[in-house]
Amino acid sequence: MFEVFFGYPLSLYRKGELVLLSPYPRWWLAAAVVASALALAAAVWRRRARLAPGLTGRRPVFVWLLQACLLALVLLLLWQPALRVSTLKPQQNVVALLIDNSSSMMIEEEGETRLAQAVRLLEGGLLEGLSKNFQVRLYRLSDRLERIPDLGSLGAARPATRIGDALREMAREAASLPLGAVVLLSDGADNSGGIDLSTLAEIRSRRIPVHSIGFGRERFARDIEISDVKVSERALAGSRLSAAVTLRHTGYASRKTRLAVRDGDRLLAAKELVLGPPERRQTELVLFHAGPAGIRTLEFSLEPLDGEENPRNNALRRLVQVEASRPRVFYFEGEPRWEYKFIRRALAEDPVIELVSMLRTTQNKLYRQGLSSPEELADGFPGRVEELFAYQALILGSVEAGYFTPVQQELIRQFVDRRGGGILFLGGRAALADGAWATSPLAELLPVTLPSQKSSFHRDQAAVELAPAGRDSLITRLVEDPEENAKRWSELPRLADYQEVGEPKPGATVLALLRTPTGRSLPLLVTQNYGRGRSAVFATGGSWRWQMRQELADQTHEIFWQQLVRWLVTGTAGLVSGSTPRPVLTDESIVRLEAFVRDKTYLPAADARVEARVLGPDGLADTVELAPDPQQPGSYRADWRAERPGSYVAEIVAVRGAEEAGRDTVAFRREDGVAENFRAEQNRELLEKLAEQTGGAYYRPAQARRLLDDIVYSEAGITVQETKELWNLPAVFLLLVLLKTAEWFLRRRWGVV
Amino acid sequence: MAARGRTLWICSLALVCVGVLAAQRLRFPDLEDHPAPFPPDGHEKTEFAFARLMYPSIGRGYWGWRGAWTTDYPKADRQFVQGVRRLTRIHTRSVEEVVDLDTDKIYDWPFVYAVEVGHWDLSDQQAARLRDFLLRGGFLMTDDFHGTYEWDVFLASMQRVFPERPIVEIPSEDEIFHVVYDLDERFQVPGIQYFYSGRPYEQDGIEPRWRAIYDDQGRIMVAICHNMDLGDAWEWADLPRYPERWASLAYRIGINYILYAMTH
Repeated sequence: MFEVFFGYPLSLYRKGELVLLSPYPRWWLAAAVVASALALAAAVWRRRARLAPGLTGRRPVFVWLLQACLLALVLLLLWQPALRVSTLKPQQNVVALLIDNSSSMMIEEEGETRLAQAVRLLEGGLLEGLSKNFQVRLYRLSDRLERIPDLGSLGAARPATRIGDALREMAREAASLPLGAVVLLSDGADNSGGIDLSTLAEIRSRRIPVHSIGFGRERFARDIEISDVKVSERALAGSRLSAAVTLRHTGYASRKTRLAVRDGDRLLAAKELVLGPPERRQTELVLFHAGPAGIRTLEFSLEPLDGEENPRNNALRRLVQVEASRPRVFYFEGEPRWEYKFIRRALAEDPVIELVSMLRTTQNKLYRQGLSSPEELADGFPGRVEELFAYQALILGSVEAGYFTPVQQELIRQFVDRRGGGILFLGGRAALADGAWATSPLAELLPVTLPSQKSSFHRDQAAVELAPAGRDSLITRLVEDPEENAKRWSELPRLADYQEVGEPKPGATVLALLRTPTGRSLPLLVTQNYGRGRSAVFATGGSWRWQMRQELADQTHEIFWQQLVRWLVTGTAGLVSGSTPRPVLTDESIVRLEAFVRDKTYLPAADARVEARVLGPDGLADTVELAPDPQQPGSYRADWRAERPGSYVAEIVAVRGAEEAGRDTVAFRREDGVAENFRAEQNRELLEKLAEQTGGAYYRPAQARRLLDDIVYSEAGITVQETKELWNLPAVFLLLVLLKTAEWFLRRRWGVV
Repeated sequence: MAARGRTLWICSLALVCVGVLAAQRLRFPDLEDHPAPFPPDGHEKTEFAFARLMYPSIGRGYWGWRGAWTTDYPKADRQFVQGVRRLTRIHTRSVEEVVDLDTDKIYDWPFVYAVEVGHWDLSDQQAARLRDFLLRGGFLMTDDFHGTYEWDVFLASMQRVFPERPIVEIPSEDEIFHVVYDLDERFQVPGIQYFYSGRPYEQDGIEPRWRAIYDDQGRIMVAICHNMDLGDAWEWADLPRYPERWASLAYRIGINYILYAMTH
């Protein structure tokens, strides 16, 4: 219809440049239009009273406007308007047909795979039509771009789609080929992270239009997909872990399904869940035990539902490095009390945590337990960095701030801030506000603003309950089910005592509350991050009643303390800490290995030699040296190519001088062909944007024949300039008639014909 | 009518008695073996109180004549805790806590002292509660029983508590003898009877024995002081003719046992 009135296809107007063919200057046209409009205005104004008394009010303005437009249009036509456009010279240009044969193109829709639909479209005349005017080159596009002689050579599906890489390759070919246009037949399910700006810029600089034909449904009618899984990359052996699993679905609102976590064939956890509204992201928390030390490849999967169109996106894998290390925790207690004994007992049952404690039994005696040697802590509370920083977490019991010297107080602050250790303040007769901690320099470490008055400690029993933030916390999760857990907390025996700790600081998280005998609700367990470490307040010295007042088989007290202390030590790095930004490489091979090296006082060490010894699948072994980052002292990095899919372990070793500074292990995994199953609907947005950015157009398969007309308009390859005159368009004639008819109609209506 | 009036009168009297007992809370004046003044801070809320186990005695019934559990009560307790308060940092109440094994109150007092256990006679229910208390983390110190006969009586009830666990001698290197004081040199601590009998021992209990029942993690749950009378030593520590070295050792053992109970 557009072409009937405007003579040429819309794409021509989009690509063409409007020009005036008349040799007269353009300003003459503007002047003529203005002059004639003014002359018309004067004539209408002067003659209206005499010849047309009915033209009153605004009516002469309308008449003048219509006449002026008509005159302006006639003047424009005298200047010969036209479209100038570049078109591909027939038989002299190459058109590249890129056919996506990745595994997402094998998804079957209405009895036919997406690839089969593309082939059918090409064989149905499109290929022949293009071949009439151009030299057509066929390519198959997946994780690489390969030229093929014919459609029969498409071959088996490949595991990934890298549209960006393919376009870069085409741009390179265009340097030696008269490439007129690129036609991309794809579902747009790119899994290389999109098309980067430099590739787009290269394509645009060569003016190659990329036309895209989209295959596949833009939305599955019935599908459920795990979009993401967030889980800690490191854990202590036997720890409880939580994973946040994000899923989305279409067509299964209010349906039940089962989320499972597996380590190989072993089921670690399972959870029944009800699916929410469609198209919305839904995040589910699932808890499981990390098990013994080792590298775990955990699979998070959803049970397929009946009629699901793409069940291959129901599972995702993540790597978790379960460490064999035994973090050392130092507990300093200012007076003998039951809490001390029962904390020791609870942590003694933890095979991972090593608790070293020191207790002021009398005015002049310190009693030490859990020592690795008789010399450990022989001089009392540590006064040197090497002594205190040997621990990963510190627990301070009922002890006044003034007990510690200013040097020790600064050491404690540095322990959390620089060392990245965890610190836990317990309530007690000489603790927190009653121990003058509010006015000590260490008050900033606390996650609460302590009350200024003393006598905040009360030897009265207090009930406990879970705070809203505690529902999702691993520290306070006593039983798996969140509802059951909240109930469990409210049923716990009362604490033997409690302490008022004031208001939580901004950024702090209140995980549990206590209820005083007078009914006041106060923070019980508050946590926050401080510097590189963590701090927490547990506002009681009486949780031992959870052990003595519950059945012998009950493990609440042990679980709580083990989880709290494991949280304290989590993330407390050693002298060398290795990492990788992406522990799971999806359809790519380059892994970045990073290490941060510190000296014995935990200051960055920029003078280390750092290398990674990588072990991979099938006995693959390699050594790579990490180069120091001049911008960040202590930081080292290297890129390494993981040649084969599978799990890898890199042991990072740092050496300073002749001495080993420390070592750490990093695990990563290369997975091929998995990402292709996710977001497998047609990514129309990507295909449209790609076409729009390069001067091409997006087509549905049903509209693809229009490509035969549109593809000739291109500025790439070998082109000719064509000029398309516009004066003889039916639309121009219609406009002339319309303007005159409108004037006549108005005059008739007003009786001034 | 007369019978109904008498019943009413008895009930009222019982109510008054219960009320008086409840008001005194920590005091059992009729059962005091050796009365001691009630300190003004006796009701202070503290971390620790010296908990004395109330138990039924063999042959004399639970509420029979005073009960063996009251031996030295309360003077020994109050005099001992003065030492605990002075010599340690334990926030200690000046008055003892009597713990009835027929109630769950015992679970609030993880250290319990039982005297004259050569006369105790625990019911199955009481034995089960005591076992549960100890396995949850409680600690029992027994004292002032002597010779073979009383050992056998002690054992009869103790085996109802832990039929499967052996009673063993505590080696000198055990932490219980070192947690505060190093008690490698230990000797028999006689009771006040020494001044009447002239013998440091009672019955055939010539050798002092420091024995224990351990839990699966090697921690002492029951510390058994056999053939000695630490309670008397605490009780008579203020008696000029009672030797200081006996009282001193009794205090040191008591303090070590409490500190051990609070650290293991």
